[in-house]
Amino acid sequence: MDKMKTNRRSFLISSAAGISTLVFAQTAVAQGKKAVDLLNPSSPLVLPPNFAPSVWFTMESNGRTTVHVFRNEMGQHVGTAFAQIVAEELGLNWSEVTIDYPQMDHKTMSTYGLQMTGGSYSVFEEFGKLSRVAAAARDIILEQGADLLGAEIADCLVENSMVKDTLMGESITFSEILSETVIDYEVSEEDLKNVKLKKRSEYKILGKSLPALDIPEKINGSARFAIDAHVPNMVYAKIIAPPRRMGAKVKGFDDTEAKKVPGYLQTIPFNLPDEAIFGGFITHVPLVIAKSFPSAMRAAQSVKVDWDIANTSDLSSKDIEEEARNLLSDSRNAEVYWKVGDYNSCKDKNECKEVEVEYKTSMVSHVSMEPMSALANFIDGTLHIYAGHQMGTTLPSTIANYTGLKPENIIYHPHLIGGSFGKKIEYELTILASLAALATKKPVKVIFTREDDMAFAHPRTPTVQKLRALVTSKDCIGINHDVACATMQIAPFFPAFTHPPIVDGKPIKDSKIKHEAYVMLGSNNWYDIENQTANHFRQVSVEKTIPVRAVRSVGNNYTVFALETFIDEIANEIGEDPLALRLSKLKGKGVNAGESFGSSPSASFGGGKRLANVLRIASGLANYGSNALEEGNSLGISIAGAETRYNPSFLACIAKVHVDKKSAAIKVKKLTCVVDVGIAINPDGIKAQVEGSLLWGLSNALMEKMTLNQGAVVERNFDTYKWQNITSIPELEIHIVENGIYPSGVGEPATCVVAPAIGNAIFNATGVRLRSLPFSREELFEGLEKQA
Amino acid sequence: MAQLKINGKSYFVDSAADTPLLWVLREDLKLTGTKFGCGGGYCGCCTVHINGEAMRSCRIRVGDVENAIITTIEGLDPASNHPVQEAWLDLQVPQCGYCQSGQIMQAAALLAENNNPNDEEIEISMRGNLCRCMTYKRIKSAVKKAGKTMRERSV
Repeated sequence: MDKMKTNRRSFLISSAAGISTLVFAQTAVAQGKKAVDLLNPSSPLVLPPNFAPSVWFTMESNGRTTVHVFRNEMGQHVGTAFAQIVAEELGLNWSEVTIDYPQMDHKTMSTYGLQMTGGSYSVFEEFGKLSRVAAAARDIILEQGADLLGAEIADCLVENSMVKDTLMGESITFSEILSETVIDYEVSEEDLKNVKLKKRSEYKILGKSLPALDIPEKINGSARFAIDAHVPNMVYAKIIAPPRRMGAKVKGFDDTEAKKVPGYLQTIPFNLPDEAIFGGFITHVPLVIAKSFPSAMRAAQSVKVDWDIANTSDLSSKDIEEEARNLLSDSRNAEVYWKVGDYNSCKDKNECKEVEVEYKTSMVSHVSMEPMSALANFIDGTLHIYAGHQMGTTLPSTIANYTGLKPENIIYHPHLIGGSFGKKIEYELTILASLAALATKKPVKVIFTREDDMAFAHPRTPTVQKLRALVTSKDCIGINHDVACATMQIAPFFPAFTHPPIVDGKPIKDSKIKHEAYVMLGSNNWYDIENQTANHFRQVSVEKTIPVRAVRSVGNNYTVFALETFIDEIANEIGEDPLALRLSKLKGKGVNAGESFGSSPSASFGGGKRLANVLRIASGLANYGSNALEEGNSLGISIAGAETRYNPSFLACIAKVHVDKKSAAIKVKKLTCVVDVGIAINPDGIKAQVEGSLLWGLSNALMEKMTLNQGAVVERNFDTYKWQNITSIPELEIHIVENGIYPSGVGEPATCVVAPAIGNAIFNATGVRLRSLPFSREELFEGLEKQA
Repeated sequence: MAQLKINGKSYFVDSAADTPLLWVLREDLKLTGTKFGCGGGYCGCCTVHINGEAMRSCRIRVGDVENAIITTIEGLDPASNHPVQEAWLDLQVPQCGYCQSGQIMQAAALLAENNNPNDEEIEISMRGNLCRCMTYKRIKSAVKKAGKTMRERSV
């Protein structure tokens, strides 16, 4: 083999057998660190703080590339999307691509970033970075390949894990390149910035519906979820749910009877400091520990707990609803979230009529199929956490706060999540398992039964919303959207997830008001209605009763329901077609123009115009406006730019609904959904997410309601908490639109457009307006009777 | 104490007779493909075959199935290549995947009895198997596809 020459951009340490690894360091050059000789076991592996070999992927000399996925897999096939992005720019043969989920320790966050799996952010946040890193790797390997072929770089191209010399017709595989040479290479920020990315027309792997890499293990029982984690000699633990959702303290307990249960070991009451309760991260709870989980369940039934419920909230759902109305009635409670123009002065200046309507939405629970579970094992001074968590990078520091261990002595081993939708961003189980493992000096696996999981629910906040509009004879010139609901109480822990009010598109930096980023999502809509205000009326009493948190698409689900129903009501008021009214307000003016092209990442490029586009397509697909509908059938429209204005997928949904006017039975026959995702990484994967999201929205619209009675969750299993099963599934027609600029997320957004589309269709079929979620057949029945 | 026949193998387990079969499978025998979802028989995550019938293992006491033939997802097909599994893969049914063992076992039992079910028959058989990712549309299509494969292969 020819001796390699060192050139400007790379040098070869030596030629040797064994595994060679493509090494990346985005910041290493900037820090002036020397390269690491991976082949010499005796060479000190001095890694700079922001450097790790193969941060995002590792190429082996056998040709296999493993993409390291730091987001948690929970059904969205995020690893497949990431692998497609890497494989595309790197020019890989897809059959040689695999994924893994590396452990996370105290350094992971500083090295890899927060890596939150949520907000439908994963692809949006990683697309640019992964594309550039992979493209830089492609350039390096191209150079190496060209050297080995004795060819000019300009004559070579990368394809299918090979470097091809187009002039001589020779080629060399990545495997051969990596076997014959060791590439030790450092890429600077500058290199990454200047790297040439593929044009969209050149994509071979991106945009293809490749089978998800995590599916094969999910059909034969071999997939390992958190609840399947196992270490030798572990014991099992079950909580005893307190009589109130928050704040009940354990005064004492009697486990005399439990001691008769074979396998029972002990009960540990955890009375945590008050700051632990704050935000509902965890609450006081006794943990019943036994040699097997059935023994723990049996023993828990016979442990008598003496609870102190003084200073706990005993509110019920009805109280909360009434209080929300009181809050809304006093404008001094308003915290402005989003404002364009000036609703109030518009009202004074113009001859117009004010329309006011109230909407309300229920609490909705995650009820992911896998109940919360975590295994902790303290061994040789290190605490190992086996769980599935949406923010694994934060576990070492969070668990350190509760255990007194140092973050560097805590390691998180990610497992597949058996459905999350926001639930597994909670810390309770990992904290409890950690405390129990330290207290018992044994590996402890804590499993929530379904009843425990629901007693400790973190549902979507209930809301009461008041919407007002200023209408002239032909137009709507102002909307005021007031939302009474709780916050998620995450601001003290994650100040980065807060922002001040946004007025005319700009943050009011000196404002005392700080909004949690997800609570009012969706009220900051894309309509060119010149005068709009959205106010949050924070309902602290809810926060003191139950920690309401992020449930799939978060705020969009209640704000979009109210807003999109209200737009139809306005259309009805001014005698305009709901489709025409929407289209007239979706011209992408001013704040609704979206980000400019090339701003990074410009997922919102085009803004409101893209909503108009998807709405036109959806109305076409659904034959909106045709008179051919059978008796009792009607169509209803809804749109949204979700998850946020920063990473929006632009959605339009048209529901075809049949209402039996005698029985008030609602049958949703078809949902047509058009979604503009910017760039579709994996169209079939996107369809799968949208299918699931639409049915989730359907379930929220027609069935789901979690309630509180005297400060405790009423519904504790699926006999009382009802949700969608395989019956009465409407036809789903999903159409993906791409503007080709930058990908947004799809795991959540389509949930929020379903309920308003159905409600609008019900009105169009019957003339009865339903303003409360879930829709009540009784309410519709009464409305129909009144009409008759 | 119980002697069990699971996936063609014989096991002896040291559990009380009233222990739910689910936990014996998962914790004692490490057959963790069978999932815990609700403990009340409402969700179907723990579905296994007992003498060929789809049943909820969270509601079955281990002492009651001593002489029964028990099949779990791990034993449905030696190569994980049952027509139902093939269809599940072809149509990319699973999202989070947690309920899918139960869905597949339920579907396999349905198709063993009726390899050409109509929509209503599929709904009646599968309505007790909940999927929070709501993969129902694909489940329905995959059951039909698997049925077609089984009909073709039985000729």
